[in-house]
This record gives sequence, structure tokens and C-alpha cells, in this order.
Amino acid sequence: MMLSTGSYSSKCMQKEMGHIQNNKPFNNLFLHNKTAGADEIQIDDSIIKTLGERKKHMCIKKGNDSSPACNKASIPGTVTQRSCVYGGARVVLMPVTDAIHLVHGPIGCAACTWDIRGSRSSDDDLYKSGFSTNLEEKDIVFGGENKLLETIIELNKLYNPAAIFVYSTCVVGLIGDDLKSVAKKASELTKCRVIPVQSEGFRAVNKSLGHQLACDAMLDYLIGSGEVKNPSKYDMNIVGEFNVAGDLWDIKPLFKNIGVNVLCAITGDSKVEDIAAAHMAKLNVVQCQKSSNYLAARMEEKYGIPFLKVNFFGIEETSNSLRNVAKFFHDPGMIKKTEKLIESEIWRIRAEISKYREKLTGKKVAVYVGGNKAWSLIRAFEELGMEVIMTGTQNGLPEDYERIRETVKDGTLVVDDANSMELARLLKKYKPDLIVSGAKEKYLSLKLGIPFCDFNHDRISSFAGFQGFINFAKEVDRAVSSPVWNLTPKKCSGVKENAG
Amino acid sequence: MGECNVIKKDRNSVINPLVTCQPMGAMYAVAGIRRGLPLVHGSQGCSTFVRYSFSRHFREPSEIAVTSLHEDAAVFGGRRNLISGLGNLAVRFKPDLIGAISTCSSEIIGDDMVGFIKIAKEEMTQKMGEKEAESIKIIPISTPSFVDSHFRGYDNAIKALVDNLAEEPTESNNKVNIIPGMVNPGDTREIKHILALMGIEGIILTDISDTFDSPLRPSATEFRPFYPKGGTTVGEISDSSNSLGSISLCNYSGSAAKSLEKKYDVPSSLGPIPIGVQNTDQFLRNLKKYTDLEIPEALLDERGLLMDSMADLVSRYLFGRTVAIYGDPAISAGIARFVCELGMVPSVVCTGVESKEFEEEMKKVSKESDGPVDMLVGSDLRALETRLQEEPVDLMIGHSDGRLFAKNLEIPLIRVGYPVYDRAGYHRVPIVGYNGGINLIDRITNTVFENFYDAEHWKLQQ
Repeated sequence: MMLSTGSYSSKCMQKEMGHIQNNKPFNNLFLHNKTAGADEIQIDDSIIKTLGERKKHMCIKKGNDSSPACNKASIPGTVTQRSCVYGGARVVLMPVTDAIHLVHGPIGCAACTWDIRGSRSSDDDLYKSGFSTNLEEKDIVFGGENKLLETIIELNKLYNPAAIFVYSTCVVGLIGDDLKSVAKKASELTKCRVIPVQSEGFRAVNKSLGHQLACDAMLDYLIGSGEVKNPSKYDMNIVGEFNVAGDLWDIKPLFKNIGVNVLCAITGDSKVEDIAAAHMAKLNVVQCQKSSNYLAARMEEKYGIPFLKVNFFGIEETSNSLRNVAKFFHDPGMIKKTEKLIESEIWRIRAEISKYREKLTGKKVAVYVGGNKAWSLIRAFEELGMEVIMTGTQNGLPEDYERIRETVKDGTLVVDDANSMELARLLKKYKPDLIVSGAKEKYLSLKLGIPFCDFNHDRISSFAGFQGFINFAKEVDRAVSSPVWNLTPKKCSGVKENAG
Repeated sequence: MGECNVIKKDRNSVINPLVTCQPMGAMYAVAGIRRGLPLVHGSQGCSTFVRYSFSRHFREPSEIAVTSLHEDAAVFGGRRNLISGLGNLAVRFKPDLIGAISTCSSEIIGDDMVGFIKIAKEEMTQKMGEKEAESIKIIPISTPSFVDSHFRGYDNAIKALVDNLAEEPTESNNKVNIIPGMVNPGDTREIKHILALMGIEGIILTDISDTFDSPLRPSATEFRPFYPKGGTTVGEISDSSNSLGSISLCNYSGSAAKSLEKKYDVPSSLGPIPIGVQNTDQFLRNLKKYTDLEIPEALLDERGLLMDSMADLVSRYLFGRTVAIYGDPAISAGIARFVCELGMVPSVVCTGVESKEFEEEMKKVSKESDGPVDMLVGSDLRALETRLQEEPVDLMIGHSDGRLFAKNLEIPLIRVGYPVYDRAGYHRVPIVGYNGGINLIDRITNTVFENFYDAEHWKLQQ
């Protein structure tokens, strides 16, 4: 459902929103997934030339039976956009602000990953430092367990942190250090929470397992071990919200307004003790459904906390998410407040949004990301009048592609684990007006003359909620309307050059 | 004459590292080869996080392939991954050179890279034909991540390239080999500018100046931006044995030059990096030594311009100020000497490596210092932060990773080196050569203006 072009009236908007909701009630609730027809998929050579075994990882969405193959090992010798299992665990836990994140491995694993996620903190900044046991040759030969134990004791003395997360890396898996027993011993010696994360980099084909292992670490060592001082019947966690660029700070006030108490975000701007008490919530909502569905499902299993899938990107998605939460709490007052809030927020932002919508209508977008954004952004772009012509992820699972299939229009190209050469070819072929991706893809697309918008760890504007949607529209407009694209041979056409 | 104290880190842990692991340095080196591609034999994070880091610093795409080692490889070895990785890369990218870079995993598993490359070559010959397979050079580069740092990785890579590619000398090519070290595109361009003024043809081992700073000119050509213009050709590396001499600019990058000297009698010199007046003088003397060419007027003028800005600015604004310098062991030592030339005191010089060459160079520098020099070796940013909390300095010079505590300690930070991700264009602006000296002195003095002077009374302060 698209919003009408031009000026908004509050009533009209509200009617449309209501209509959307009536059509697809609870469209954000958990859906059981099936993989459909992945084996028969083969992308046509006319769209992209690529290696035979890669052809089934791309498809044109048509009806209900097209999802690309996924969750397979990348082909060796490609420039993959993927990361490792350790990387996946690190990004999920990194936003825990008052913890030490100690990487047990050679120096590079810590050196390349400290302070690389724009997750913001309202208080502690310990999480921004990089800690490493710096495994060296002698440790490889004799084992690194003693060094790890000594390092934990030393760091605990230096910082007195709320917890120490200890990440395992490839080397640790190969030399066989027993992370769990060292953590246990260190915990007893220091009285500090020492939490092992079994994230050997090579353990899986992409970082998705890392997300799960990070969740396991929280489930096994943290959640359930603390308590909330003043529990209320409207306590809720936001799971899979990492406060990148302050997203959480745009979401929290909305819930405060309707009377829901956000106990804890896992893990954005969180403290160790908040997560420890997260099991006392009455509801979990899941924002990043790529990394955190698992956590919510396990918490439901273990503590009986129901969960809702939410999405705070875009007007319709934000509104529906709020409505679903209010509906869950069965409080007529809250439901009323929610409708009022949605109405007033839409009224507040309508003029600005229609300004951007006028400029952006008809522009074509490609999305290539690591997480849930491959589907959660689609509606937001449609609300700006833009058309998503390609979407994909580096590490999607079958259920991710299911969600994509439900969300995108027929004719949309869906890609899995596209490497840099495939991306470049697709960008040249499809010539989108914008690509939404992360830092590695940024300069690749700009060099091809394709405007770029960062929707990853590096972005500096919050994009969540109603206010975030304005920021988002502004950022998209900045990328698309930059005068530089009037001065360059746009989108690789028109200029013939020899091979460089 | 300042005393020099060598201070080692008194901790097990590394907190806010100043170095990363070896493979990154090798990727840097291979990225400077024309139609060259690094292939990292390891986990996906090993290439991905380095690409991420390169992107943030250079604001350029970087193509680094990986063999994607997974659990089965950890058990059965990475043979299949490396062989098929090389094959796929060869077929799809048709590179001139692949640098096969080992990692902690592949080294511990014990993969025989040299043997695997041979098998891969045979497979490629069958698939692509002998001529095409032969045109793709595959160089094994051993970079165990658990030994030393990325500087060693860079050195190992340049040595592997030269050892594998340099041919038996025929006749002199009248060229000089330059091993720039892990400097910026702007620095390499400045070196090439100096060579051009001297009338010398150089072989830059390797040249990232155009591969990590390339124009935006979208074209329909299939392979761009995978192969940006520029970079050192394989032919140039083969020819490096015919050169008059080799100069390694950085105190950690001398192995390839030593190897050429030992095998083919190509004389070599190691450092110091031409930052500041005397180090640049030394570089020119080395060039003169190998080529017998005179220093041209144009270079003397450039030197004169640097002297002129020093005369204008030093005594009024810079003299006596204390500086903390950190990061790359060669760049840090070079800047330390330059700040001495500016009448400032390099009170603390901090690097993540422990190296004899660095310590020797710093001991010489400290003799030129007006005050004591604390040399933090094998250290990290936390150690530097603690040292500066106890004894503050007026200015910090180093890369962007020090920005957070610089702000907390209210010490102005002048950014140089790698990585600089919170300023624009620093990878393009040279700090080497006389021109680089001028850039540095301007950068330092402007920071002093902004932080130590009252803008309202500006005219009076002139």
C-alpha cells in the first residue's frame, strides 16, 4: 500500500493506515517458514553472467514460489561481502556498554573490530575500547589458557567492569583452549561475570551463527540472573535493536508516550544488569529479525515471554508495530493513546515527508545488506515513492528470503551472497538511482557512478520511528540529489573508455 | 641532548591496539600491483575487516578475495579451498598476479601453500591453456597472524614478490628501487615527483598511489573498478634485480632490498623515511649515491620553501612545545626527528612493535631533542593514554584511533598515518619530502593557532 503523492491530510493518511492494518492484521507476527523451490531457481545469463553454482543464488521474484538458494558456503576465490562467525557475535554484543569485550586470539581479530559499530551509549563508553589477549607463537605452541586467565584478572583489576565477554577466534578453535573452563575459573577468582562466546571464525559459512552464539552467551550466562526493582505489567524488551546512530532513542519515547516501559534493549545502549533482568519483561519485540528472532524464541521457551516482530523503519511499519504492541497489552487506554500518537506524529512529519516524496518519486533503489533490512526497508522506500528493484543479503537464511518474497513486488531481483563482481555487474545492468548498503559496498558503487546511502554500522543519522523516517528521507535525498551526479557521466553510460 | 628511555608495556593484555596482524600488511603490498589481487587463505573476516578498514581510510573500493575456510578445512586442511580459489580468481578476474596470503588458521592447519599453488597452476593450464595460465603469476606469501604485526606482513610480502619475480640480472636498467612502506598514496606520489625532478626512473615496490586513489570516471568497461589504473607491473618487479640500488623508506621494510643485495649485488639502504629536512636530505644523498646525478635546482628550491616556512613559524609558535607521537614505527620516528627540527620536544614516541631498527633510529633522534624522550615499544594506546594522563603534552601526532582519549585529555590531535577516517583527504596529502614537510608544518601550526591563541586578537599575535 502506497501513500498518495503530494500533500497529506491527516484523515486520509489515517484512513490508509487503518486500511493497511485491516488488510493484513498481525502481519508482523511470527510466521512459520518454508523454503520454496530454491533448487529449480537459475538466474538467466541475460541478467548476469556468473559461475554456474552461483546462478541459483539469484532470482526474479514471481508469485509465491521464488526464493534464491542461500546459507551455503561462499565460493573460494571470490571477493565476498560476508564476514566470519566471530564478526557476527561481536556486532551483536558490542553495544553492551559497561562490559569489556575481550578477544582471545591474534591481535588482528581485535584490532580490526574495536569501535567499528556506530552503536551509541548514553553513559558508559567501556565498550568502545578494544581488548586482546594477543596470542603469539609461543601461545599457539603451549596453549593460551593461562594467558587468558591472567589477562581477565588483570583487566578486571584495571576496569572493574560489569562483565567480561570473552570471544573465541579461529586460532582458539584450532589449538583447543577450553574457553568455558577458563571463564568459570576466572569468574570465581574475580567475582566478575566472565562470559565465554564460542565464536571461532570458521565455524560456519557466514556470520549468522555468530549472532546465535552471541544470543546463547546471553541466555546461558546473563539473562535470568538479575532482577528488576520495580516491575510493572507493561515491561517490555526491544530485542535486536542496537542503537546504531541512536535509533533506540527515537523509539523509546514513542513507547513511553503510550505507557509501555522499555525494560531493556538487547543490546543497544544496554548495561549488563539490564540484560540480566530482561527475563522479567512481559513482552519481547524483535526489531532485527535477522540476528535476534532466536533470542526471543528461546526466551519464550525458557521464561514464557511472548514476542512480536516489529519494524520501526517507515511510517506504516512503525505505526503497525506500535498498534500491535498496544493490542498485545489489551489496554483500551493504551490503544487509544497509540492511535492519537500515530495521528499526531504523521501530522507532524507530513509536510516534510511530502517534500522529499516529490523529489524522490519514481527513483529506483537497490538494497544489499547484511541483515533484516533487505525486507524491512521496502515499505519505507515505497512511502517515499521509490521503487525497490533489487534486494539481497550477504547471509540470509531461508526465512529471511521468505520475508523478502512476501514483501517485494513481482519482478524484483533477489540476490544472495552476491560478491563484489556480481554486485558491480548488477549495478551496471540495472542502473539504480540509489544503492543502500554498507561501508565495503560504498566506494564500489560510487566508483560506478551509483549514489549510495549507508544503512549499516557506519551511519550517523538515526532512521527509526517517525523522526528517524525524516532523517532517512533526508539522507536518501542527499545521496540521490547530490550535484556531483550532474557533473559525472551518470551511471556508467555515455562514455566509452579503454580497459584500465 | 635528550635522554632516551625505552619503556615496555607492563601488561599481558593489549588495550586499544596500535598494530593489526600480518595479513593486512600483505594485502596492502599486493594492492599496489597493477592487475594484482590479494587472495587471503583464511576465514572470511580476515579479508572483510581489512577491506572495511581500507575503505574507511582511502575512501576507495578494495578487491580482496578469500578462500573462505570453514570447519571442514580446519579438520581436513585448506587444500581444496586454495586450489579452487586460485582457479576461480584466475578465470573470472584474469589478473596479472595473485598474492596468496596465509593467515593464522592456514598456518596452524599446516597448509603447504607452495605445493597447492603448483597443483592449482597445473589445473589452470589444463583449463585455460598454457599461455594464459603462465601469464598469471601466483606468489605465496607467508604471514602467520600470531607473529609480530602488519608491518612484518608488509615486509614479508614485498620480499616474497621480489624473491619470486626478480630475474637473473642482465644489464643495468638505470633505475632505483623504492620500497615505500605503508605510506599513503600522496606520499608515494611525492616520492615519484622527487625522482622525476632528479631525472631518475624508479621501480616502486609497490605503488598504491593510483590503486588506492583513483578517479571517478564511470565507464562501460567490464572490469573497472576492479583494476584501477596504476600500480607496479609484474615486469617492473622482475626487472628490480637490474636496478642501481634499492632504498627502503621505512625501518621495517628492508628485507626485499637486502635479498636483492645478497642475491644480485644490488646495493641497498634502509630508512630513514624522508620526513623533515635532514631525513629528506639523506634520501636525496642516497639517490645521488646510486645514480651519480646532481640534486637539481628545483629540489633545492623546494627545500628552500620548507626552510622559509620553518623560519616564519617555528620560533613564534612551535618552539619548546612537547609532542606525543604514535603509530607506524617508521613514520613516528621520522616525525619525531622533524619536530626536533621545529624546536619541539618529542616527549613520548609510542609504537605497537618492538624493533631494533626503530629503537636505533629513535636513539639518534633523541640526541637532537631538547628534552628527554620516552620510547614506548610493543605498546598500545591505553599505555600512551595513561602516560599522557600522568604527564600531559601540548600536542599529539598520530592516526585517528587516538581521537577519543585525545579529546578526553584535551590534547589537540594532528592526524597523520594510517588509519585516518575522521578527516578528508589526508591520504592524498604527502608528509614526505620537502613538500610533505611544508604540509606537516602547516598542519601543526594551524592546530596550534586553533588551540593556543585567542582569535579575537589575531592581528596583534602576528
